[in-house]
Amino acid sequence: MKKVILVADDSPSIRKFVSFALTMKGFEIISCADGMEALEKLPSEKINLVITDLNMPNMDGFELIKAIRGNEELKEIPIIILSSLGGSEEIQKGISYGANSYLIKPFDPKRVVYEVSKYLN
Amino acid sequence: MKQLNSMADLFNRLNDLKVAFSYGEKYIPIIQSIIDFMKQTVPLLETINTSISDTAVKIPKAKDQINNVSSATELATTEILDIVDSISLEIEKIETDVKSIQKMEDEKKKIWGQIKESINASPEVIELIEKYEKLDMIREEIPKILNVFQKTRNDVNNITLSLQVQDITSQQLAAVNHLIESVREKLSSLIQNLNESETKESSILNISIPKGATFDPNAEYTKSTEKQDVADSLVSSSLNKTTQDEIDKLFS
Repeated sequence: MKKVILVADDSPSIRKFVSFALTMKGFEIISCADGMEALEKLPSEKINLVITDLNMPNMDGFELIKAIRGNEELKEIPIIILSSLGGSEEIQKGISYGANSYLIKPFDPKRVVYEVSKYLN
Repeated sequence: MKQLNSMADLFNRLNDLKVAFSYGEKYIPIIQSIIDFMKQTVPLLETINTSISDTAVKIPKAKDQINNVSSATELATTEILDIVDSISLEIEKIETDVKSIQKMEDEKKKIWGQIKESINASPEVIELIEKYEKLDMIREEIPKILNVFQKTRNDVNNITLSLQVQDITSQQLAAVNHLIESVREKLSSLIQNLNESETKESSILNISIPKGATFDPNAEYTKSTEKQDVADSLVSSSLNKTTQDEIDKLFS
């Protein structure tokens, strides 16, 4: 059975890049344009991992991570932040909110596959 | 004595008058030039006011144009990525086929060896077999073909990496849009202030990133891993550190 990854990013091209890199490796991708949409989809789909941007409309990545970690049924899902924000402050905030990995844009597709494989294989 | 005093007063007054006249003589041209300057400046200020109004009106159009550029590059990038995706799938399929051909060729070679060992052929037949073997080069060419596939896959990976410039420029353009909007707001308040003939402190341009902004004004397109290294070292304080060797191992 294919592992399902939820990608939350307001940029359609980034959603496509991530999807491109991961579907080639046999993962199934569910895309969302913001944190709110991601949070709505999470309980209804069997999600194995979340990749999220930080700057998003409606609900940003930090809020999404907080919501996932605060939910009994979702809190164990590995979370990878994928953002162009590369300051130590944001990275530390992301980790303290409960992210498992932090990748900075522009990203190497191989690195994304590697990080995902770390948690799902 | 009193008369003398009155005369002295009179002379003093006359002196004052003289001074006033000489001052007047000196300063009237200056005052006149100030009046002339103001006569010239007022229409100039009106022109500036009109120009500011025009600029403020044109700014939304500039914003729209920037948004159009972002949308167009987004669409083009998605289309390019679709094509790259389809190329990758084709490569994957052909690579799988070539690998099965390689397996079959290995098997064929084994059987061929057994045939050669079991037949007691004449020198003519042996010569023919050797000729055939020289022509049958598919097996030797397969690793070269697979190397080409590997190189193409790396190229595709690099294209994907380079295409992300679109996302970064989109964020930079969004930051420029925000900057333009801030300038427009300040121009509008300046126009209002000019019309009210008073200056307010609020006319000082203060550009800050709004809370909840969906762009990163400092986003940059770079292949340097400096920032990622910082992120990795921060993450590694609580998780295992990732090395390039580990990533390469996964894709070898």
